[in-house]
Amino acid sequence: MSQSNKPAAPTGRVLNIQRYCSHDGPGIRTNVFLKGCSLRCKWCGNPESIRKNPELSYDPRTCTGKKACGLCLQPPFPDGAFYVVEGEDDKVRVNWDLAGDCDDATVALCPTGALSMFGKTMTVDEVLDEVEKDSSFYRNSGGGMTLSGGECLLQPDFSAALLAGAHERGFNTAIETACNVPWSFVEKVLPHVDTVLHDHKLTIPERHKKWTGVGNERILANFKKAYETFPDIDFIARTPLIPGVNADEEHIRAVLAFIRPHKNVIDYELLPYHRFGLGKYEHLGKVYELDDYKTPSDEVVQRLQAIIDEAFGRIAEAAGAR
Amino acid sequence: MSTDIGQSSSPKRIAINVGAGFVPGINAAVMGAALAAGKLGWELVGIRDGFDGLLHPERYPDGGLLSLGPRLIDNLDPAGAGVLGQSSRVDPFHVRTVDADGMVEEVDMSDALLQRLKVEEIDALISVFGGQGLSILYKLQRKGLNAVCIPRAIENDVAATLVSFGFNSALSFTIEMLDKARQSAQSARKIAVVEVLGAQAGWLALQAGIAACADAVLIPEIPCDLQALAASLKQRVTGRRPYGLVVVAEGAKLVETAQARADKPAEHALKASLSPLATGEASEHVIQRSGQAAETVANRLQLLIAEETFPLVLGPWTRGGVATAVDRQLGLAYGAGAIRALNAGNSGVMVAFVPPDIKFVPLAQAINKVRTVPADSEFIQTARSLGICLGREQS
Ligand code: SF4
Repeated sequence: MSQSNKPAAPTGRVLNIQRYCSHDGPGIRTNVFLKGCSLRCKWCGNPESIRKNPELSYDPRTCTGKKACGLCLQPPFPDGAFYVVEGEDDKVRVNWDLAGDCDDATVALCPTGALSMFGKTMTVDEVLDEVEKDSSFYRNSGGGMTLSGGECLLQPDFSAALLAGAHERGFNTAIETACNVPWSFVEKVLPHVDTVLHDHKLTIPERHKKWTGVGNERILANFKKAYETFPDIDFIARTPLIPGVNADEEHIRAVLAFIRPHKNVIDYELLPYHRFGLGKYEHLGKVYELDDYKTPSDEVVQRLQAIIDEAFGRIAEAAGAR
Repeated sequence: MSTDIGQSSSPKRIAINVGAGFVPGINAAVMGAALAAGKLGWELVGIRDGFDGLLHPERYPDGGLLSLGPRLIDNLDPAGAGVLGQSSRVDPFHVRTVDADGMVEEVDMSDALLQRLKVEEIDALISVFGGQGLSILYKLQRKGLNAVCIPRAIENDVAATLVSFGFNSALSFTIEMLDKARQSAQSARKIAVVEVLGAQAGWLALQAGIAACADAVLIPEIPCDLQALAASLKQRVTGRRPYGLVVVAEGAKLVETAQARADKPAEHALKASLSPLATGEASEHVIQRSGQAAETVANRLQLLIAEETFPLVLGPWTRGGVATAVDRQLGLAYGAGAIRALNAGNSGVMVAFVPPDIKFVPLAQAINKVRTVPADSEFIQTARSLGICLGREQS
């Protein structure tokens, strides 16, 4: 569906479009992951979304090796970017410091797709036409499109146009955000959103800075202003639960104290930390800084969930479920 | 590539910096370079905290550069470290910054770095780097920087040199700890399984294991057959000598049964094939966290033998302490060698110990390689002669 009579819609940096999702907003949804983030959470499960520019990915499982191929060991691939070590296994290795100059054109020369780039530039219509493919599911389930990331608010014009376009096509809209952006970005996007899933990662500013790269003062100010400015939006608070970092009662109670006065914050979800992102770090040649951390135990998650259920008046229901 | 360092007698201004990660006795390398520079009438300045002193001078009361003149050098302890400090990241191509809008981003500051060197009238840079730092230096050199690298690596895995700075101090400490572990095992009548540094190269485990007369040494280069290890320990650990010592490099691999390999999650296979030293299907190479190797070997070994095992992890302890006599000499020689390299018009080189000489090898020869223990190494033969099990039947 093109809109040629309108001014040129902005383009954006898209990481991935994932269909048939059910966790990030109501009903069956299509998640559009945008590239670029303004935080550096040490536990990040989507490391390929962090940098705003496209970046190289290498999956050694599909590399056929030097003898069978070896194309990336020669020009036009950057000098020293790929190499093999002595021994039986002749799959290439990546020198991630020297491979940064790879682009779409060089990477496309890899015949097996072992080399690829994370992230591409897309127009609003290109994204929406992809999202449209599952429109019948949205109608039947009350679902729609969720913008995720990275941080979707870092591309406010693109995100606003995408969400407005989704509304025009009759889809429910949701975003996932950490809100570490200027308020002007928030203000531009939120009028087109039905549900905002937003992260309360840590409560104390110094600790927030330690684990994510910046303090949380501006983030909390944005949340509060958003709750007050957009009373019709459903806000769902979330905490990625990491033992030794924030999986404690004090943090949960502090978040509840912050959100409960606002009636449009309809829920608070705990997302127990997992290490699913680990493989992706290796594809990107990045170091996973949280290697030693473990998933929170069921007992801890249940105890913290009970505090939330109590605050939201769901104590009986929760007890019944257990 | 600009190489304006020639044999001219004009006084030069040279900078020196240190890469990420603590290595004992870095002062020796700094002193070596300072003394040799002074002899030529050149000035040596130290960049604080990796590249931070140059890139962020506003953070330092002294502007981020430390003049390494005779007065300071005369009072420096060559066995000590830390005169220049360190940074956890030494990559000017991806400097993590928080912009005016409070947003985190990695910024390429390599041009700014070269510009700052120009403004400070610094003619060349000596970097005490290992691992990733070598590639960074190679990249900077390709952008026109006159760079000389002093190799440093606790694990002695930098290619093209027999020994990297810092290895001997780590080796000495590791031996001391293995002696204590053996005493502890002796009194407890158990088998101590001690994990030492060595993700890709087994030099530290092998040389320390030999010195401490360990019963077994497992290194990344020789995948370990646990059955063979258990059989060897059954012979060595007896009623008369009811204790044992097993040294495990953190990157040691186990030979897996076909079934175990099939059951292994894809993520592990991926990690294995990304490691420069991985041998793919034949073995396991997964370091998920420090201590995992010792724990795995201790637990699985205990199922195969009658004795009790207990894991110990040296890990980051190995990085501290003071430099040994060998490292002091090596540091001074490498520092002086770096100045000699510059004075001879070399740039884009690493000083290397190729006995009996200190040589200058192109950085390109040192990157994308790992110095591992070869199968015919003298140390492997020595270990086998001493009856130390290397995790495999001798072929
Ligand atoms: S071009 Fe692709 S398949 Fe060929 S060696 Fe390189 S990574 Fe492997």
